[in-house]
Amino acid sequence: MESLDANFPVRHRKFSLESKGNKTEIVICSYEDHILVIATQIGAVGAILHARKEEGMSVEPTFSVSVIFGKRDEPMLIATARRLIDHISSFVPSKPLVLSLGLKDHSSETLKEIVAAVIENRLW
Amino acid sequence: METEYDQVLHSVAQVKIADQINDSGDVNRDEDGVKVSCFTEVFDDVTLQFQIIRLTKQIYVWIGYNSAKFGNLYAAASTRPSNTVSVTSVLGGTSDNTGSGIARRLVMKAGLNIILACNIPKNNPLLEAKAEKMLIRKLIDLGYTMPTPLRAT
Repeated sequence: MESLDANFPVRHRKFSLESKGNKTEIVICSYEDHILVIATQIGAVGAILHARKEEGMSVEPTFSVSVIFGKRDEPMLIATARRLIDHISSFVPSKPLVLSLGLKDHSSETLKEIVAAVIENRLW
Repeated sequence: METEYDQVLHSVAQVKIADQINDSGDVNRDEDGVKVSCFTEVFDDVTLQFQIIRLTKQIYVWIGYNSAKFGNLYAAASTRPSNTVSVTSVLGGTSDNTGSGIARRLVMKAGLNIILACNIPKNNPLLEAKAEKMLIRKLIDLGYTMPTPLRAT
């Protein structure tokens, strides 16, 4: 579901997916200087991560990904944010990502499905 | 003499949440999941944009002042055992604090944990107070508030 108001400056898209018996609600919002993705199974934001592409001199891009709120001991969450910012930065290099993952299950299958669904429904 | 700022603050404090007559369990049984509401308010040459995303147990709010920039991110929640409200800056805004007061008072009025992103410029308490008042009215209209707001200690 896309945002209905064409005059509202922030576009958003809301959808859900089923994975391993859990319903994941996903909201993607595109602000002027950030992309926000909220993926929740628990009805709360869970862990919030921030990811951005670093300005660098080398040919290969480097990214800075960190947990800014919540669980800091789940490397799969950081990998998810890394995967998404990689994709975002190839389209809009200057927009960092704020990713909120409130999940019951942190398995790689679930996270891969979430990444695929977000990319499929992307707003960048 | 009362300044306009004081008047707005008084009226914010007087925005009361009416007792919910119907069964408040209806809100908890809502199976629709995440709800997104967006609206714009214009006054005095200022455009304030609001985005409210209601998750089942928390509310995410974005306040935009004349632009669609994300702004500073704060998280606020009531903390046991005494129900005082704590707020923390999550992204940006560490020396700025514009918006942290709004997040705190939203939790006090609404009784739900709040994640607030706000790009209101600093040193503008009147604007903050007006934005807060509009937001609280909208939260009440949407039915996202709890029947008994938390008391400030």
